[in-house]
Amino acid sequence: MSAPDTESVFDELPGDLMIWVLIVSELLVFGAGLAAFLGVRLTDPAAFAAAQDHLHRSAAGVNTVVLVTSGWLAALGARAVNLGSIAQGRRLLAGAAALGVVFLAVKWAEYADKAAQGIGVETHPFFTFYYLITGFHAAHVAAGIVVLALVAIRARPQEVEAGTAFWHMVDLVWVLVFPVIYLLR
Amino acid sequence: MIAATRAWFWLLSLSAASTALAASLTTGMIVDVAPALVGAMILILAWVKARLILNAYLRLSDAPAFRRGFGMTLALYACLLLALYLAGTTRP
Repeated sequence: MSAPDTESVFDELPGDLMIWVLIVSELLVFGAGLAAFLGVRLTDPAAFAAAQDHLHRSAAGVNTVVLVTSGWLAALGARAVNLGSIAQGRRLLAGAAALGVVFLAVKWAEYADKAAQGIGVETHPFFTFYYLITGFHAAHVAAGIVVLALVAIRARPQEVEAGTAFWHMVDLVWVLVFPVIYLLR
Repeated sequence: MIAATRAWFWLLSLSAASTALAASLTTGMIVDVAPALVGAMILILAWVKARLILNAYLRLSDAPAFRRGFGMTLALYACLLLALYLAGTTRP
């Protein structure tokens, strides 16, 4: 006697369940970091605003365009692989990864500029959070570039979907980090 | 236009809008609007962008129950950030 088919609500989720567990875990970590940042800001909003003036909003804005566009290319790449256009999918995924490298290059220039100004992790609590949150995010971008490269080489629809889901999570975190750290005064 | 391309267009537009809002405040282009209101608008735009990525790129539009769950959790989180931001902005 065979067991009856049972439908789980998790069957509705696009992609593998484990990638969603990872996405939710990462969102919780970054979410807690941003809430803590705004919580500590309550102790001295004026000093946080003054510290924020040392950031390059325009560079962060450029990076937002870069990462959002990279996410778009990744989505198109996953779609292409799913439709059987493997070569086109690989090109789009390579484009997404290349924009990830551009994001890191801009971030590197941003950090180098802070270092030249003598701004470090211990300069002010604002910069402690700034380096912690944006640095942790940059580490995810670096990991995502490797993941995109690996799934592009193998180009199997299920793996590409999981890899691009990770990349979209990185994108999602950035659209929350950017306004909270760089824009809110 | 496929959903991913539409979402990309909106993400770029909303990011430009939030950057312009922040820039207009710091450069003094808008002086009659309370900074708290501008901050609230920036956070609302961030919430909309996050929902766009979840629904269009992570394809939660295909999973209505999860879309509602994520949407509600994200809205509550955005309210928390907004409350923390406003508490810091309205202090003397």
